[in-house]
Amino acid sequence: MINVSNLSVRLGGRPVIHGVSLEARPGALTAIVGPNGCGKTTTLKAISGELAPAGGTIRINGRDLRGLKPWELASMRGVLPQSTVISFPFTVREVVRLGLAAGANADAALHDRIAAEALEAVDLGGFAGRFYQELSGGEQQRVQLARVLCQISEPVTDGQPRYLLLDEPVSSLDIRHQLGIMQLARSFCERGGGVVAVMHDLNLTAMFADHMVMMKAGKVRASGAPAEVLTDETMEAVFGCRMRVGVAPPAPVPFVLPQTASL
Amino acid sequence: MPRSEALGRGMRLTGLAADIRNEWRAGNRSRLAQLLVVALVVIAIATFVGSIMTGAADASLANVWRWLIGEADQALSIRDRIIILDIRLPRAVLGMLVGASLAVSGVVMQGLFRNPLADPGLVGVSSGASLGAVLLIVLGTAAFGPLFALFGFYALPVAAFFGGLVTTLLLYRIATRGGQTSIATLLLAGIALGALTGAVTGVLVFMADDKQLRDLTFWGLGSLAGANWTKILASAPIILLSLAVTPFLARGLNAITLGEAAAFHMGIPVQRLKNVAIVSVAAATGASVAVSGGIGFVGIVVPHLLRLVIGPDHRYLLPASALLGGTLLILADMIARTIVSPAELPIGIVTAFIGAPFFLWILLRGRSNMGL
Repeated sequence: MINVSNLSVRLGGRPVIHGVSLEARPGALTAIVGPNGCGKTTTLKAISGELAPAGGTIRINGRDLRGLKPWELASMRGVLPQSTVISFPFTVREVVRLGLAAGANADAALHDRIAAEALEAVDLGGFAGRFYQELSGGEQQRVQLARVLCQISEPVTDGQPRYLLLDEPVSSLDIRHQLGIMQLARSFCERGGGVVAVMHDLNLTAMFADHMVMMKAGKVRASGAPAEVLTDETMEAVFGCRMRVGVAPPAPVPFVLPQTASL
Repeated sequence: MPRSEALGRGMRLTGLAADIRNEWRAGNRSRLAQLLVVALVVIAIATFVGSIMTGAADASLANVWRWLIGEADQALSIRDRIIILDIRLPRAVLGMLVGASLAVSGVVMQGLFRNPLADPGLVGVSSGASLGAVLLIVLGTAAFGPLFALFGFYALPVAAFFGGLVTTLLLYRIATRGGQTSIATLLLAGIALGALTGAVTGVLVFMADDKQLRDLTFWGLGSLAGANWTKILASAPIILLSLAVTPFLARGLNAITLGEAAAFHMGIPVQRLKNVAIVSVAAATGASVAVSGGIGFVGIVVPHLLRLVIGPDHRYLLPASALLGGTLLILADMIARTIVSPAELPIGIVTAFIGAPFFLWILLRGRSNMGL
């Protein structure tokens, strides 16, 4: 369980998160949504330990974040940043292996298999020898996810759940890969791990999230199951535009929903 | 017996070359890197011995060897002994040390700033180190009496170390915001810092008296020509110590190529890594500058060449750079002292002639990948 209680964060002296509390249970996909600049990513960075809170506490599996060393944290959670630029000529295999070195995978004999499986999982099976810098943005994002999956290759180790913290994991992916990655996150949860994801696509969130946290201006405005959070009223209050939940547009306008996809 | 032994060694070496070719074709860079490190050890030793055997004067290594094992006529071998043991050997040792230190400082700095163009010589760290050394020479015992008392002949490398350290810290402060380094800011700030330290150095030279000027000129020639055992004693401990910590930085430097945040996510204590990296770069650069002046481009050419072959994995890049840096500097020194023999070119000229066009080539080839 990840427990965030009464978190506040300052960036450059300016308070940006005010008293955020949330819970991310193992076995559940928790999505944080909200308008640009509402503090989603900052909250995730605080949970990852990257930003020190100005107030409040964060606990992972009951342990206070402040008491954990970087390498202890690295064995409990993996973090996927929004985008990663590398200025050295790493191959995909080498990037993914950086994750292996970071994780708690003591058995070196398994390394090749874990790396290969992680690349398969993000649909980059034949890409191990390619140069990271030569890939498209979406492919790079999936390589990074594979790296995180190498770091946290088991959803549960020693009886303790592990977590994936994903910052807009599908932002630069095509629809097929969006669904694939969300299913991957979902299956990580089903096997006992926990996922916290910052999301923009509300349809995908509604499809895959067990728990939704909707933020605005550094505060939690609504949280609960997607069906409870996604209402006409909260949408208008949080995003500042009136819209209707669950209403199809009038007949001649084409629209495509991810819910209709079959892989 | 010796003949078959030599044959066996020859075959092992050809085998090594074939292995390297095979791994290169298979695209397996980590195995390739391991083989290359072994090959570089052999090449470094060969170059080292070769440089002791060549020079403007004739000197017989065999005579010196016979003297060492006590078989030779003392009088016969004294000239050879001086040429080899007191001139060429310290020069080769210093070349190896300085070359390794310049190349490894380049690797560490490039890793730390996450960019293949960061090099202590290019971004003003060497000028900062020079300033430290010049300050010591000009203000001398009056201002730095305690430093001399404390460090003896280590005072010059130590002063250069502090000059380099201050510059590196300043650069880091200026160019890095929130864990992201702007390479444009880094290079431009390096130019500014280089100009500033150069100006202060100029003022000091202006202030210097005749004796100090002679010391300065002698020191500033920037070559291995003045190599002697005292210089080696003064610089070797610092260089070897800072080289010795770098293997412990390798995993962290690998992780930090993905960014400081990502490195932290992967369990690296980032602040400690940066502190150790900065101090080791400043120490290695300071010690090198103190004994050989500014020798440019080794720190950029060597790591870049190696990355093309074995990739950017610092576990192999660091030892390979140390070996290739030392080897190339000894070779450059051999060119410097034979091409206009019996006179000598400053080695900085040789490295600049090789390095500067190479640097331009890197720029043209990889502009898009360097964040420029």
